[in-house]
Formats: sequence, C-alpha cells, structure tokens
Amino acid sequence: MLTLDDSTPDRHLAAEIVRFTRSTTRRHKRSRVSLSERFVDAYSWGLGIAVSLTIAASFVLALRNEIADRSSAGTGIIGAQWLILPEPVLWTSVTYAFLLVVSNLARKLGPVTVGGPESIWWLTLPIDRRPMVLPPFLRKAALTGTGLTLLYLPFSMVTAVDRTAPEHLLASVTFGAAGVIAVTLAAFQQLGLLGPRIGRVVPMTALLACAVLPTASSSPWPAALAFVTAVVLLVLEGPRTGEVRSEELIRGGAVAGHAGASLFMMDSNEVLRALGGGRKTVDGGRAAGFFARPAGGPLRALIRADIVAFLRLNPPLMPSVLWLAACVAMLLVEGGLPEFAQLGIIVIAGCATASGMGGVARKAALVPELEALLPLHPALVRSSRALMPCLAMAVWMAALSGLLVLLGASDPALIAVGALAGIGMGAGTLRSATKAAPDWSAPPVDTPFGPVPRAQLGSLMRGLDVTILAMVPVMVGLYLGYTPLTVVVVQALFSAGIVLLSVLSKPKKA
Amino acid sequence: MGSVLEAEGLLVGYAGAPVCGEVSATVAAGEILGIVGVNGAGKSTVARTIAGRQAPLDGDVKVHGLLVDPDAVPFRRQVSAVFDDDLFFPSLTVREHLLLVARGHSVADPEGRVEKELDFFGLLGRADAIPDALSSGQRRRLLLAAGLIRPSSLLILDEPEQRLDPIMRVALGVRIAEHARNGGAVVLVTHDPELLLATATSCLVIDHEVRELEPVQGASIIAGS
Repeated sequence: MLTLDDSTPDRHLAAEIVRFTRSTTRRHKRSRVSLSERFVDAYSWGLGIAVSLTIAASFVLALRNEIADRSSAGTGIIGAQWLILPEPVLWTSVTYAFLLVVSNLARKLGPVTVGGPESIWWLTLPIDRRPMVLPPFLRKAALTGTGLTLLYLPFSMVTAVDRTAPEHLLASVTFGAAGVIAVTLAAFQQLGLLGPRIGRVVPMTALLACAVLPTASSSPWPAALAFVTAVVLLVLEGPRTGEVRSEELIRGGAVAGHAGASLFMMDSNEVLRALGGGRKTVDGGRAAGFFARPAGGPLRALIRADIVAFLRLNPPLMPSVLWLAACVAMLLVEGGLPEFAQLGIIVIAGCATASGMGGVARKAALVPELEALLPLHPALVRSSRALMPCLAMAVWMAALSGLLVLLGASDPALIAVGALAGIGMGAGTLRSATKAAPDWSAPPVDTPFGPVPRAQLGSLMRGLDVTILAMVPVMVGLYLGYTPLTVVVVQALFSAGIVLLSVLSKPKKA
Repeated sequence: MGSVLEAEGLLVGYAGAPVCGEVSATVAAGEILGIVGVNGAGKSTVARTIAGRQAPLDGDVKVHGLLVDPDAVPFRRQVSAVFDDDLFFPSLTVREHLLLVARGHSVADPEGRVEKELDFFGLLGRADAIPDALSSGQRRRLLLAAGLIRPSSLLILDEPEQRLDPIMRVALGVRIAEHARNGGAVVLVTHDPELLLATATSCLVIDHEVRELEPVQGASIIAGS
C-alpha cells in the first residue's frame, strides 16, 4: 500500500546505484579505447588548446597595447564625442549582460538535469535522487566558475589596463564566483520556491550586485564576498537538488543533450533550435484576422502565411534592442575604443541580431516539402520567406545608422545605406537557415598551407558569409565618416546580389 | 479488495486540447483493465497520464487514494510502468540493467531474481550484451523484464505485445495474469485481442466517447469484427 509518510529514501542505496552505473560505464569506455588512442586524443586536444590560447593571448595583448597607446579622443568612428559614457559604467554593464546570459543559459540547460537513460532507469527508482543529480550539478558549477575566470582574465586586461597582475586575477576570480552564483540561482529557479516573477527578479538583482564586484579588484574583499556567497548558495541548494521535479530534470537534460550534440557537430541551426525549444509558447492567435483575409493568388497567400508565422514565433525583440544599445554604448565610451574594434563590435551585433530573425526559415527548413506545397517556383517561396527577416533587419540597421548619425558618426545618407545593408543581412538568415550540417566524414583538401576542411568550413560559414559581406559597404561609410554616392551604389549592388544569391541558390542537402 | 487506481473525469491531451473523451475508471487489486482503441485514439496518452508522465487537462487520477505524483517516493515504489522507451545506458549490459532495477527496489537476492527474469524472457544468452547489440524485440523484452522484476501494486503496460513473438506474447499474458493473482492491479493498453481476452477483467474503449465494455466486446472491436 502507498503510505502517506514520505518514507526515508535510502541515500546510501542511491549512491551505490550511481556508483555502480558510473563504474560500469568507465570500465566499458576503457575497454573500447586503447591507451595509445587516449594519448593521441590528449595530445591533439592539448595542442589545439595551446595553439588557440596562444593566438587569443597575442590578440588580447595587441588590443591591450592599442588601447593603452590610444590618444584621449578622436580615435573612434565618432570624431567629436558630445556624449560620453564613463568606462566603468560600460564595462560593468557588459559584465552584467554576460552574467544574465550565463544565468539564462543555465536555466535553459537545467542546470540540475538527468540524461535520457537516467530518466528511464534512475528516476523511477524509489530512492533519493540527490546522489544522482548533485555531482553533475556541482561539476557544472565548478566548470562554469573556472571557465568564466579564464574568460574574464583577457577582458580585464583589455578593459582595465591600469590594474596590476594580482588585481586582474582577483577580478577574474570574482567574476568566476559570480558565474557560480548565476548557475546556483538558476537551480533555485528550478525548485520553484519563488513565484515565476520573483524568481526572475531575484537573480537579476543579485547578478547586478555581482557585476559591480570585479571593478573593486584593488581589495581582496569583493572576491572573498563573491566566493563565500557562491559557496553558501551551493550549500543551501545542494541538499535540495533531489527535490527538483522529474519533468524539469528531463527537460533540462534533453535541451542540454540536444545543444551539446549540435555544438559538437558545429551545427549552428540545431544549436539555435535546441536553445529555442524552451522559449515562451508560440502565439497561435496573433494576426489571425490578417491571415483570415482573402488572398489573391498563391504568392500573396504564402507571403501572408510567412508574415503571420514570423509574428507568431515571437521574433527576439529584446536581444535586438540590447545589441543596438551595446553598439551605441561601445561608441560612447570614455576615451573611445580603437576604430577596428568598434567596427568589429557592430559586425558581431549585426550577425547576432540577424541570426535571431531566421526562426521561421529554420523551422521551415526542417520540412523541405513545404516549398512544394503551393504551385510556386522555389525561388518565389524563398523570397517570401526572406521578406520579414529583410524588413526587420532593414529597420534594425536603419535604427542603428540613425543613432550613429545622431551621434555625429556620418551624414544622414548613412541611414539609407544601413537600411539597404539590412536587406542583405536578412537574406543572409535565409541562406544560413537552409545550410546543411557539416559533413565531418568529408576528407580535408590539400592546400599549400596544409590540409583544410574546406567542405566543413563552407558549411559553417554559409549564411554568415553574406551577412558579413552585406555590412562591408556600410562599415566603409562609417570608417570614412561620410557617405559618398559610391558607397550607396555599392551597398545597393551588394544587397541586391545577396538577395538574388539567397533566393536562387537551392538549399544544401546533408 | 480496495481500489488501487481511481480515475474520475480524466481528460488527457496536449497543449490544452483533449485527444479523447473523459475517462472514469476504477481498478482494484487483482483486476486487469484493458484499454483498447484505434491508432491515435489516445490510449497511450491515457496510460502516460495515469503513470504521471504528463499532467491531465482535467480530472483526477489517484493511486491508493493519493493523487498521482511521479516524484513521490511511495508512488515510484508502487507503480511500475513500461512504455516503448528505447533508452538504455549504452555501456550497461542486459544483466546490469536488471540488476540496477532490482537493487534500486531492494529486491531480495537481486542476482538470483535477475537470472530468473533473464530465463523467463529468453535473454540468458544475451545477458552480457550491451543494448546496441540487441534486436528491437530483445530490447522490448529487457524493458518488460525491468518492469516485472520489481514489486509493484499497479503495473501499467503500453502495448507490451509489440515486437514480441507469439510464444512470448502467450507467456507474457500468463505473467500479467499471475501479477494480478498475486494482488497487483494492471492497466494494459493493447492491440492484441488474444492478450486482452487472456488477461483483462474489464475493458475501456477509447474514442471521442470512452465506453466500458466486456473484454470480449473489446477484443472484437480490436479485431475489427
């Protein structure tokens, strides 16, 4: 009989079950991989990481020297700054934004999770779940902390050139601890102890405080405070991890598994699908009146369907606005960043915003039969699908260019160039959505510089290539500080060419 | 004997839309409730809701008088559910999977019990094989063995006959009936009229309107006569 008493689940038994599964898994893995293979793997990984770190370090040092040597004003793309943002405000905002991203990602990916087999074979056992979920959670928190500490080090070196080496280290440790706090707060959200609204407000407020701490790296106290807070939160959360509901454990595990596999295969479309899976529900009722109106012909019907689908999939409005704000903030920072860094940030913001607009195209790409649903040429179908991303990106780029003009970066003609660039960037999202996953079985091609995985690189860059290309003329206009007619004409030609390329080229098949 | 499962005005479905009519049923210890219906009628959704794998749209499901809660330890101890989940630990053998369940449920003499189940389900020869090396029928047998090796007062089986050969289907029917004779209650979703007739004491036909019929009538509906 079921008893009302919750009974004391045997924690020892649960730990034994976990140990049994893990030790058997380790034994099995060891039996399949020889010592020499493991050595080769470790060597390849070590070499890859060392080379990447060396390149990253040289880039960071070059950027740091560039910033250290800059003159007090006039180095950026805004010649005469009439509005100045103090540097600490900007870097604290960036740190805060990054912590929010960490918190949001941690929430999407669990952070307390179980994998597919565990959900079937472990969760149904009448034993305490804590030994099953706590060690992986602690591992994730530790990895996040370590990763963010390493990541913050170059950021600190570039943004605070006057800090000493121990101060850089303290700031990095503080940021790493803040990352652990973000992950732990996400785990508290999983428990649902606070309501959904308060559950969001509390982490946002706590992380704002955490974002300020690394700026006070001259003293060891902020680092100590962040570290102690992280440990206290972990101690409070740890015993309760077994109480996270199975539905949540399985959801987080499924998203993390999907995203991890997609990252491993470097399939950006799948990564976005995995992370978008838990987004707020599709609004099935939005623009229903518009959709219900009679359409004159299949093309109009399709365009209407694509517009409604775009609106119902909740295009990412807030990230677009935040990227816009980030671009402007970078340009207004006290002293000014080097020109190439400012232009680079605008390109990154443009690519990130554009990728968020391809939701409909990415979903439609999963069902190629959709293209044949109406009696229309595939190019017309693709044109219809690109319409809303092009429009949205034209508006976004026009807004960005307008703000830049307002700040004195260029003349008003830049707004038109920006809008034209947006059309090309929107078309790039369609090209990106229809790319095939990289085929890692294809052999690399021999070149004078050694073997190059050309097929895989081509697949990875598809879409991103034309999005960046679409921004080249507008960036030239920004660099020049005025907009010659040539730039307008070249931008129009670039955007038109990219639109034609995107709608006329067939989707790549895997 | 007291009722093990009670469903009252149960409405099941996805995204707020019901897939079938309201389900009301009671299963006492020693009884076997067959659930039948055409493909897509909502049989598995009903079974998943009873097993706590998805929330009901409306109505209540109670096991031993308590609302279904798959996270409650007593629920996990009492309810064994076998669905078509083709998920296994890739590095655990067939024997190790069963040992995991037997130990997790504190079965007395787990090793001996595992050998018995391996023998019953014809898996002795494949006991040291990992799931990837099994056929789909063998993986199905492993799932059924895992559902039956542990004690439970409510056994939920979703089309257990799938991918089983006729001999194993008959043996499974005997095993299900034995579970009920030993005081367990069973919810059996099936497309197999013979399995239904050999085991069920009552039958629900799932459709836009859910009806309770005799197993003989349920079997003839499945058979299409």
